[in-house]
Amino acid sequence: MRWTSGPLEIAKRGRKETLAPTTREAIERWHDPAALNVLDGSPIDCLVVTWAAGMPEDAAQQKTAAALLEAARSRGLAIVGWTEGTIDPQAAIAAARASGLSAIAIKNFTGQSDFPVISWGDQADVPWDAKGPVLAAADNVWPGVSVASGGADASAGPTSLPWLDSNGWFIRLARARVETPVWLLFDPPGKGVRVLPQRYVTAICDSEAAGARWVISMDDDLRSGLIAGSTAARESWKQIGRTASFFKGRAEWKSYRPLGLVGVISDFEGENLDGSREILNLMARRDLLFQVIWKSQALERPFLGLKALVYADSGQTAQPLRQKILKFVEQGGLLIAGPQWASGGPPANPEFDTHFDVRNHGKGRLAAARKEMPDPYELAVETQFLLSHRNDLMKIYNSASSGCTSFTASPDGKRVVLQGLSFADRRPAGAKTVWLRDDRGNARLWAVGAGPVPVAAEPSEEYAGVEYHLPEAVSAEPYFALEWGV
Amino acid sequence: MMNRREFLGAVGVAGVQLARPVRLRASAPTAPVAIARCKDYGAEFLASADKMFDQLGGIGGLVKGKTVTIKINLSGVETTRQDHLPAGRTFWTHPRTVGAVIHLLDKAGARRIRVVEGAWIWPASLEEFMLKAGWDPGLLLGAAHRVELINTNLPYKGSKPYSRFAVPHGGHMFPAYDLSTAYAESDVFVSMSKVKEHGAAGVTLSIKNCFGITPTTIYGNKVPVDEPSRVPYGGRQEIGHSGSRQPPKSSPSENDPKSPRQAGYRIPRIVADLVAAVPVHLAILEAIETITGAELPRRDITKFVSPGFMAVGKNCVTTDAVAMAAMGFDPMADRGAAPFETCDNTLRLAEELGVGTRDLRNIEVIGPPLKDVTFNFREHGLPRPSRLPGGRQSG
Repeated sequence: MRWTSGPLEIAKRGRKETLAPTTREAIERWHDPAALNVLDGSPIDCLVVTWAAGMPEDAAQQKTAAALLEAARSRGLAIVGWTEGTIDPQAAIAAARASGLSAIAIKNFTGQSDFPVISWGDQADVPWDAKGPVLAAADNVWPGVSVASGGADASAGPTSLPWLDSNGWFIRLARARVETPVWLLFDPPGKGVRVLPQRYVTAICDSEAAGARWVISMDDDLRSGLIAGSTAARESWKQIGRTASFFKGRAEWKSYRPLGLVGVISDFEGENLDGSREILNLMARRDLLFQVIWKSQALERPFLGLKALVYADSGQTAQPLRQKILKFVEQGGLLIAGPQWASGGPPANPEFDTHFDVRNHGKGRLAAARKEMPDPYELAVETQFLLSHRNDLMKIYNSASSGCTSFTASPDGKRVVLQGLSFADRRPAGAKTVWLRDDRGNARLWAVGAGPVPVAAEPSEEYAGVEYHLPEAVSAEPYFALEWGV
Repeated sequence: MMNRREFLGAVGVAGVQLARPVRLRASAPTAPVAIARCKDYGAEFLASADKMFDQLGGIGGLVKGKTVTIKINLSGVETTRQDHLPAGRTFWTHPRTVGAVIHLLDKAGARRIRVVEGAWIWPASLEEFMLKAGWDPGLLLGAAHRVELINTNLPYKGSKPYSRFAVPHGGHMFPAYDLSTAYAESDVFVSMSKVKEHGAAGVTLSIKNCFGITPTTIYGNKVPVDEPSRVPYGGRQEIGHSGSRQPPKSSPSENDPKSPRQAGYRIPRIVADLVAAVPVHLAILEAIETITGAELPRRDITKFVSPGFMAVGKNCVTTDAVAMAAMGFDPMADRGAAPFETCDNTLRLAEELGVGTRDLRNIEVIGPPLKDVTFNFREHGLPRPSRLPGGRQSG
């Protein structure tokens, strides 16, 4: 949990805004060891405390934190010192060691240290190869229906579908690259935005369902409310605790790997960074199940089980990888790529108006963009059509303002879990139905703080596959999970 | 994308009457309507439909050697359900009934059968839409020797993307509509719908079903000012429901931009125009199961019911009139009376354009006594809210 307190926090905030007296008081009182009492009965096991920012208040921050840190240690909490700005890394590490911190987080740290250092970076500049115990990324979005688009159930996207903000795509990208736990840092919306308790639940679920952990960060009102002993704030905090506990109890789900028939290949960096990552974001929003394939791993990684590859990068591809991809197509796969992959095979254009010139290539199809790659939204849409909904693995009915569903399997493939999210603040249209193409038998249904309850697999009336009928009460929740093979 | 000049050439703008409509009450023809009890989408529906076609004098003379276009009703988002029930049992045409009708049309000698729908905001084929929705399009494609599925929201892939259909007598709302050329290539037009109530049109029957023939590349939200969009961007709320804007300049504008900007005024007039411009030769209505209260599943408003009847006729107004009666409504009712509490009577407006009569006294009903199939939608529905959700409909 992000623990924002003390003189440095007040100074940092004071540079950006005029702090309300209640906010200032809450930040001050949060620095008092007694404030830790709020953690009683909660699953919080680690505090990420404000430590240094290259400001004059750094020394005072570290000095005045001593009592808080001692109290945290006595509670068995791990403590990570959070640093930002221009700091002396070695001095910060020395201070952290002297103060008994468990680790220190330093932005883009590449040096050597025998003290645990979490090298953190913004989403666009993550230190992938850092050796720390955790990969931490900042500059993430607050999950939900985009506030900029007009709030819940707003019609904002090009197709009038709600515009969802989610970090799930990024977590999948990270988890395909690193084995270490992934932490996300982001804060609730700022002043003037009332943060409903269920939005915290959504924030936790969005990260956890994709396999990461959100470093819980409170808004000023919640922190002030807890200091003041507000019943509503305490209830919100309980809800946050319940949600975090739920996922803590199902940590093994984080080791599961995504199911999906589309592999997205890219280096996800440099000139390809924005486009390739936005493809993942938009595929996730449309519940187009994908697997991330880092180009650096693509030669070694088998394409087994995939029906389509999206080669997202511009420029030429090194010959060995190009050969491997073309072999995938020749054996019956679909490749969706830029114009540099244009093929002279017989036309196989689909019925819809597409940006791609589709040609037969061996037993498969090669869809090369006629000009440049279309924008990520169109690419995600057209990928679904080129692959065809005939190949859908799952669908969720009555799922407005949903997306970013996580459908994963244990490493041995025997256990499968589907985690559904709803980003809407309002109640959904009705009870949800989950459809699976493959009959996995009866399932166990989980909601945050409830379950499991058995759910029978019902044969689909109209087509192949089976359905799972979720109770209306669970359908209205921001999160549910169906689990098979237990 | 074509420019405006090419578009105007493509739709053949000449000959379209652009003057304000003449408000005359054209003489409205009548035609018999067959009704039947039906509880099953399979063999019973097939047998019932076959018998009802015979009761109407057969359909061989109508369809033999012809291109037959079946407009089905797949309104709204493809992932919506009432409770956990498939859409075909609640608010869409049921796929098995479509398959049965294709089979019967084929048996009657139809040369080519096209199943069409302006599928939601869908930029791809109707087949893909069905797959996304959980249908097996193979059921339809395999029901006869030459079946095509066409998403008429998209520019037609044939000779020209859109064709212009003038409304007789100038039209209530628009003088003419630009529709997929698939409708122009049709010899026989079949409107096939689930029997439902509708928040802004009173009822969804064979007439209201035709709201979906308007392409959302022209009549959809966010379309360009000058010409159709390449793919749909939204539903029909802006142009159809609220009238907050006009279609692209390449298509005819409204007759009277000062007319009420209210869905209950506009939608009934638009659909009446459409069935006058694109005559329905065969109306097939099914209420084996359906929902009461609205045209799409809505929390606390709609309820799953099993009325167990169907109605078939060769005139959409007479067929809708009989179906309305079977729903427990008076087809002569006007605005303010059920089911037209917040809208105008679609049937009356179509009648005024000379499409058909809604007066049951002038309609021959074939089959069991109407009272024996009647299922009162209001008595079986949920208590109605004091204010209906007019204007929120998907069309």
